[in-house]
Amino acid sequence: MIKKQSNSNIKLSKFFVAISLLISINGIDAAEGGPCKDYGECDEFKYSLNDMASLQRGASTFLNYCYGCHSLQYSRWGRVSKDLQIPEEIFFDNLVFDKSIKPGDLMIGSMSKEQSAQWFGVAPPDLTLVSRVRGDDWIYSYLRAYYEDSSKQYGVNNLVYPGTAMPNVLMALQGNQKLVCKDVPVIAKNGGEKRDDFGNTITKEKCGYLKVDEGSGELNKEEFDSLIYDLTNFLVYVGEPAKAERERMGWYVIFYFLIFTALSALLYREYHKDYHK
Amino acid sequence: MSEMVGKLFGWVNSRLPVSNTFERHLSKHPVPSKVNFWYLFGALASVVLIIQIVSGIWLIMPYSNTEEEAFASIEYIMRDVDYGWVIRYMHTTGASMFFAVVYLHMFRGLLYGSYQKPKELVWIFGCTIYLAMMAEGFLGYVLPYGQMSYWGAQVIISLFGAIPYIGESLELWIRGDYYISGITVSRFFALHVVALPLVLIALVFLHLVALHEVGAGNPEGVDIEEHLDDDGVPLDSVPFFPYKVLNALVGIGVFMTVFAIIMFFFPEGGGYFIEMANFEEANPLVTPEHIAPVWYYSPYYAMLRAVPDKLGGLIVMGSAVAILFVVPWLDKSKVASIRYKGIYSKVALALFGISFITLGYLGTVSVTEVRKTMSVICTVIYFAFFLLMPVYTKYEKTLEVPERL
Repeated sequence: MIKKQSNSNIKLSKFFVAISLLISINGIDAAEGGPCKDYGECDEFKYSLNDMASLQRGASTFLNYCYGCHSLQYSRWGRVSKDLQIPEEIFFDNLVFDKSIKPGDLMIGSMSKEQSAQWFGVAPPDLTLVSRVRGDDWIYSYLRAYYEDSSKQYGVNNLVYPGTAMPNVLMALQGNQKLVCKDVPVIAKNGGEKRDDFGNTITKEKCGYLKVDEGSGELNKEEFDSLIYDLTNFLVYVGEPAKAERERMGWYVIFYFLIFTALSALLYREYHKDYHK
Repeated sequence: MSEMVGKLFGWVNSRLPVSNTFERHLSKHPVPSKVNFWYLFGALASVVLIIQIVSGIWLIMPYSNTEEEAFASIEYIMRDVDYGWVIRYMHTTGASMFFAVVYLHMFRGLLYGSYQKPKELVWIFGCTIYLAMMAEGFLGYVLPYGQMSYWGAQVIISLFGAIPYIGESLELWIRGDYYISGITVSRFFALHVVALPLVLIALVFLHLVALHEVGAGNPEGVDIEEHLDDDGVPLDSVPFFPYKVLNALVGIGVFMTVFAIIMFFFPEGGGYFIEMANFEEANPLVTPEHIAPVWYYSPYYAMLRAVPDKLGGLIVMGSAVAILFVVPWLDKSKVASIRYKGIYSKVALALFGISFITLGYLGTVSVTEVRKTMSVICTVIYFAFFLLMPVYTKYEKTLEVPERL
C-alpha cells in the first residue's frame, strides 16, 4: 500500500516539473517593452526617507523648478516643513513665494489648469502621487533621459517618455545632452567579448547613448545625478508621507506578534500535554 | 456582589439561552482531536472578517462618497487623518488576505471532502459567502475612484450588457447613470458598507450553525460520532475551548505576523494588492494601457478572456463559480479524504490547483496568442475537474479508512 502511494507521488512530482516548465516558458515569452521604453531597463532607485538633507534639497529643487507648473494638491505646506524638519519660518521665508499661504493650505499650484492646457497642449499633471503611479525608478530615469532633438517643439525629446510634452526644465543645470553612437565590443555566443585572430576585441557601432556636451551645464554628471536623486527622493516622500513612519512602526508590530505567537505556542503546548495523557 | 451578578446571570439565562449557546458554539462543542494546519483557515477567515468590519467602520468616517471628493478623501485619510494610513492599509491588506485564506479554506474542503454528506449545507453557505465576498471586494475596489476602480468597474458592469434582451437596461440600472459616475460610487458605497456586510455576517452565522450541527471534519475523513463515550461525547474529540482556541491562537499569531509584514512593508503587494494605476484619479477620457483585476479575481478574468464571445465569457465565468455549489453531488467517492482516494482524484486535484494558479497569473498579464491558448487549456482543466468528478471518483480504487482518528 505504501509503495503504491510513493509511486503515485513520483508521477505527481514529474507532472509538477512539467507544468512549472510550461509556466516558465510562458514567462520568457512574456518579455515585453518595459516602463522605461527606449531607455531600456529603468535605473534602479533606492529611496532614503530618513536622509533629511536629501529630502530638503529635493523639496527646494521641486519648489524652485517644478512647482511653477506642477501642483502637489494632496499635500500641505506645513506638513512638508514639519516632516522635513525645516523650521517653519525658514521654510516660508525661502521656499514659499506666495506670502498669503498658510501652513494648513494644500499645495495646489499657482497656474490655472485651463490656461496651462492652452499653453502646453496638456495641463501639467499634479505630481503628489507620481511616485506611486510611475514608480521611483521611472522618475529617476525619466528626468535624466532628455536629449537634443530639433524636430520637437522644445528642441528636446526623452528616451523614457518619447514625445513628452515637458521641456527639459533642468537643462541649464544638466547641460546639453545628445544621443551619440559609440563602438561597443561584440558579444560572442559564449557571453564573452568576440576577438579577432590577433586577440583584438571586435567592436561595432551602436547608437542611442546619452552624452552631455562637456561644460555645457552648471553641474557635472555626478552633481546632476545627485540633484535628481534628491528630487526623486522628495517625490517618494510626497507620494506617501507616512512611509518612513510606516516602516519604522512595522518592526514593532512584527516584534509584538512574534512574542504573541511564542507565548501562545507555549500555552498551547502546556494544554496539549493533558489531552494526550 | 458576585452573588448579585450570579442572580442576574441566572435571571437572563432562564429567559435567553446564553450559556447554552456559548457552550454549544464557543466552548464545549467537540472538535476532532487530530487535525492539521489546513483546518486553521476558517478561524483565520473570521479574524480577517473582524479586521475588515472594524477598519471599514473607521474608514467610513473620513471617506467621501462623491465623484468630486472620493479620490481626494482617500489621500486625506492617507495624509491628514491620524493613523488613517494604518486603517486604510489594514483594510486593503485585509481584502487580499481574506481571499488568500478563503481560497486555502476552500482548497482544504476539496482536499478532505469537507462538502460530503452531511456537510452539504455547510459547503453551500460557504460558496455563497465566497460569492458575496467577490461582490463585496468588487464594490469596495470602486470606492477609491482611481483609474483601475473606474475601468475595472467599466469592464465588469459592461459584462451585464452582454445578457440578451435585458442587458443594456440592466447595465443602466446597476450604474444608475449612462456612464460610471458619482451616482454609481454612492450606490456602491451603500452596498459595500451596509447591504453586503449584513449578508456576509448572516451567511457566516449560518455557515457556523450548520457546521456545529453536523460536526467538524478531519483530514482522515473518519466519522468521530461513531465512537462515543458514556456521556455521548466522541472519543476522538476535544472541547473547542481551550484546546482548539489555543491551537488557533498560534495560527493567528503566525498569520498576523505575515499580515503585518505585508501591511507595513509591502502594502501595494508589488501592484497586486493595490494597483499602481489606482493612484491616478478616475478619468473617463483616458483608458489605462492595461486593465487588470486584483489578483483574487484574475483566474476568472483569464477565463473571460479565453472565450472570444462576451456572452460566452460571462457564462463560462459564472459557471466557474456556480459549479462549486454542486460539488457535494459530483463527488461519488466512498471516502472523504484525499489520503484514501485513488490516483485519479489526486491527479485531478493537482491539475485543478495548477490550472487555477496559472489562470490567476494569466489574468494579470496582457494577452498574447500563447497565453490565450494556455487560458483555454486551463479553463478546460478547471471544468473537467468538476464535470468528470462523478466518473473518476466512482471508478477509482480507494484505500480503507481507519475506524478511529
